[in-house]
Amino acid sequence: MAKQTPSQTVGPFFSRGLLWEDGGKVLFAGQGERITLAGRVLDGAGAPVADALLETWQADAAGKVPAAGDAARPHGYARVSTGADGGYAIETVMPGAYTDPDGDTYAPQLHVTLFARGLLKAVRTRVFLAGLDAIKDDPLARAVGNADRLKTLVAAPDSRDPTLYRWNVRLQGEGETVFIEF
Amino acid sequence: MPKIREPDVHPPYLYPGYKSTILRAPKQPLVRVAPSPLDAVAPVFPKRFVKDAEADLTTWGKGAPLGEKMVLVGRVLDEDGKPVRGSLVELWQANASGRYAHPVDTHEAPLDPNFLGKGQVLTDDEGRYRFVTIKPGAYPWENHPFAWRPAHIHLSLFGNAYAQRLITQMFFPGDPLLPIDPIFNSVPDEAARLRMVADLALEHGVERIALGYRFDIVLRGPRATPMGV
Repeated sequence: MAKQTPSQTVGPFFSRGLLWEDGGKVLFAGQGERITLAGRVLDGAGAPVADALLETWQADAAGKVPAAGDAARPHGYARVSTGADGGYAIETVMPGAYTDPDGDTYAPQLHVTLFARGLLKAVRTRVFLAGLDAIKDDPLARAVGNADRLKTLVAAPDSRDPTLYRWNVRLQGEGETVFIEF
Repeated sequence: MPKIREPDVHPPYLYPGYKSTILRAPKQPLVRVAPSPLDAVAPVFPKRFVKDAEADLTTWGKGAPLGEKMVLVGRVLDEDGKPVRGSLVELWQANASGRYAHPVDTHEAPLDPNFLGKGQVLTDDEGRYRFVTIKPGAYPWENHPFAWRPAHIHLSLFGNAYAQRLITQMFFPGDPLLPIDPIFNSVPDEAARLRMVADLALEHGVERIALGYRFDIVLRGPRATPMGV
């Protein structure tokens, strides 16, 4: 068996190398309900993480793996960096729920990978675009168990703009976001 | 019989010798979950996403960049030794003086108007990739007194499954800064650390023009990792 190459930090100097024009606007072959996921990334002192690379990967509106296409970028995938205030925003469509071959049903969610200076390996998680009641049978929701911790993975619709979902990532400390391994 | 545990391949989140980890490392244990159907596939990069010229970082400017020209070749494989085909490999790096073409790099070394330090390719059917670039310089950083990063090249990989997504750094053989670099040394297992050091591979260079280096990259499999690895 070949042995893996270790992970190393993305460092602070990735932006010219890795950022794309409109990288936060997710492309799909089909249509869907347009939504925005936005929030901030914060460190253990509550300070903004201004140099994180945040990626999302998701099913399309029908709950299908995004189809290959000849668009400018891959379908279903977004990549942005955080700003000076730790803020980020992803414009996408609401992913559909889907059921895997084992019969597990995945609630509407985005897979999230976050790289940053000070992260020697990425943190990975999934953010839900549905309330606690609607996600209780999701495999990750079941694995988390604890409702307080699970809340760190639920993006809440804005009270004035129902297409805007707010979700903060807390890397460490009080309200620390649930991160996953698989 | 006690289970023999393989040493960790990857660094821990918290590694106090690298100061930026102290406030950014998660403290709660990771939640273990099965890979989802989306973790088993990867974003598909359209062919036109990558242009041939992006494999040669030395032709970006009007003239040749300063520094030692090099060719970097390698294969991207999975843990079963199978080639990772048609997969995006992105590369970024400092110039020969150890300066990134990046607004937050305040190192007082000159920018090179002929070097941006960014490239990308898709692997071929054997998982191979090839870049032409210049050897990056070492540079000081603020982690501790007299801290210098060894020369390194950043690489970003997708694999053929999103579970394989990896960002790593490639180092140069014989670099005296390696033993004092906390980022390199954050990888606990020495054999794993040394897998981040490229081999000199003269035969992949260009006679009288460029030195050759080989750096193979092995990604995890798309399936769940065994417990405790």
